Amino acid sequence: MFKLRSDTSRGLTLAAPATLYVGLLVAAPLVILVAYSMWTQTYVSIDRTPTWANYREALTDPLVRHLMIRSILIAGAVTVATVLTAYPIAYFIAFRARKKTLWLLLITIPFWSSYLLRVFAWKLILGFNGVMNSALMVTGMIDEPLTFLLYNEFAVVLTLAHAWAPFAILPIYVSLQKIDPSLLEAATDLGNGAVARFLRVTLPLTIPGIIAASLIIFIPTVGDYVTPSLVGGSDGKMIANLIQVQFGAANNWPLGATLSLLAMLAVGFVALVFALGLTAAGRRIR
Amino acid sequence: MKKMTLGALALSVASAPLTATAGGADLTVFDWSGYEDTGFFGSYMEEYNEAPSYTFFGSQEEAFTKLQSGFTADLAHPCSDAVRKWVAADLIKPLDPAKLDHWDALLPQIKEVDGIMIDGEVYMMPFEWGNTGLIYRTDKIADDAISLQLLADPAYQGKVAIPDAASSAYALAALATGNAADYTKMSDEQFQEASDYLRKVHPNVRFYWSDAGQMDQAMASGELEMGWAWNQSELNLIWNDTPAKMMRDVDKGIATWVCGYVHLKSSTASDDQVYDLLNALSAKESGKYIIESWGYPHGNAEAFEIADQELIATYGFDDVDQFFEGSLFFDAVDPALEARMLKEFERIKSGF
Repeated sequence: MFKLRSDTSRGLTLAAPATLYVGLLVAAPLVILVAYSMWTQTYVSIDRTPTWANYREALTDPLVRHLMIRSILIAGAVTVATVLTAYPIAYFIAFRARKKTLWLLLITIPFWSSYLLRVFAWKLILGFNGVMNSALMVTGMIDEPLTFLLYNEFAVVLTLAHAWAPFAILPIYVSLQKIDPSLLEAATDLGNGAVARFLRVTLPLTIPGIIAASLIIFIPTVGDYVTPSLVGGSDGKMIANLIQVQFGAANNWPLGATLSLLAMLAVGFVALVFALGLTAAGRRIR
Repeated sequence: MKKMTLGALALSVASAPLTATAGGADLTVFDWSGYEDTGFFGSYMEEYNEAPSYTFFGSQEEAFTKLQSGFTADLAHPCSDAVRKWVAADLIKPLDPAKLDHWDALLPQIKEVDGIMIDGEVYMMPFEWGNTGLIYRTDKIADDAISLQLLADPAYQGKVAIPDAASSAYALAALATGNAADYTKMSDEQFQEASDYLRKVHPNVRFYWSDAGQMDQAMASGELEMGWAWNQSELNLIWNDTPAKMMRDVDKGIATWVCGYVHLKSSTASDDQVYDLLNALSAKESGKYIIESWGYPHGNAEAFEIADQELIATYGFDDVDQFFEGSLFFDAVDPALEARMLKEFERIKSGF
């Protein structure tokens, strides 16, 4: 009896820091967000009578729908581009590179600099009189600077795909690293060529890494607002830019909170469908 | 040993404010970046040998949000259009003109701008003012061809920038559609006309600028040929030897803004120190400095007499009255209309 109580109290003591942490940093902000989304902004103060008005407004607004879909499509394109380019690099490091630590270090070095700095670097590369246009002009391939390089969705996808590359390389590398070489040998012994071996052994075993990489990239990029506001122009605006306007210029926190929650739901739904779909696909390949 | 030194240091840091007399840096100012330039408050520097502590904001809305969430400072630097809202939110307190040494020397027209005084109380000490207007490349567009309507001309696709700020965009639209006089209280019909104009401009917009440097660079490189921007951009381009200027003809449309300092209710510094800085800022010597080095007109009328007359003529400050009489003033827009502007502007920017 005495022992049990001490076990219980020890358990509670052990769990308390984590509970407190999650409560203060995850649950409490979420509760505040939900509360705000049901309030109303008046000129300089908040009317705290609960209402669904913000949800009604957000859900019936074609602009919100448009930006939400565009954000998901841009983030989806970024995820696909990043994972596709990261996979060969991770594969190379895991199976071919001799100095793995050095390679991993080299890949992370650009990320020691500020994120904003890297976005501006892309502006310099893609800009009107930037590196790309200057090079093309000097070589005589074009007479006038290309204007479709910057200030559109393409620029946003490119910049984000570059910025998030290590976050895809690392999880995929780890899952490749974990593959037991004897499985690959067995596949060879049983008559599988290089392509079949990759498709039937390597790829299915790295699906958890691909899912992790995709979620790590997809979820934050849907909500990115710095990149679209710097390189997106008017065609590259995303839902987070609209949310930022509500918390800034429009000074309508309740609507901003509603849009944030709706964005979270949309992202959660898409991520869930994606993860389940990829797991099922992985099972079928096997 | 090391621990002891650290402890002693912490103790001395903690007790410093108790023992020291008011240091210059004890005064905190919430300001736009750049205004920490000591040339703006020479007499304060003489008295305290130390500049005030500055915290910066990027936009008035950001400043408002931060102050409403509990950020404290002694003085802040919004523009006249924000004052009514800040007063309504109970953020600022009235100033005492009797303690403002240069109050009588301030341009009389500027004191009449809405927001400087509300219900007989002075809430803002006007510091600098200037124009928002159409800046264009003189090598690409002739002086007699330029107009606000040209922004909507399909020939200029991708050659135009306007600010990512609803109030400024609607001021432009109000001027372009002949509704400037009703900018702060547009009727539904006028609002529709203004929105339609912005929708026509939208396909020509290369980007909606949020920092002036972005717009200046694009004008200098030839990426843009026209931009709705502040006079600071015009000067940057002139200093950069780019053939560009601002359309100053009040009949064709130009807007004027006034910014200044307000006394925050959260202020903890002594009133003497607050007014020392306000008096330093409004001195004519500070005015001479901002006119000559920044190209912004100052609130003090005497500053224009002692500044370089050639520069004054170049910058178009020799006839101050034309701006006060003929231009659109960025006054506080009716809150309901402001909300509509913000909402509609978001739609226009996304092509709706």
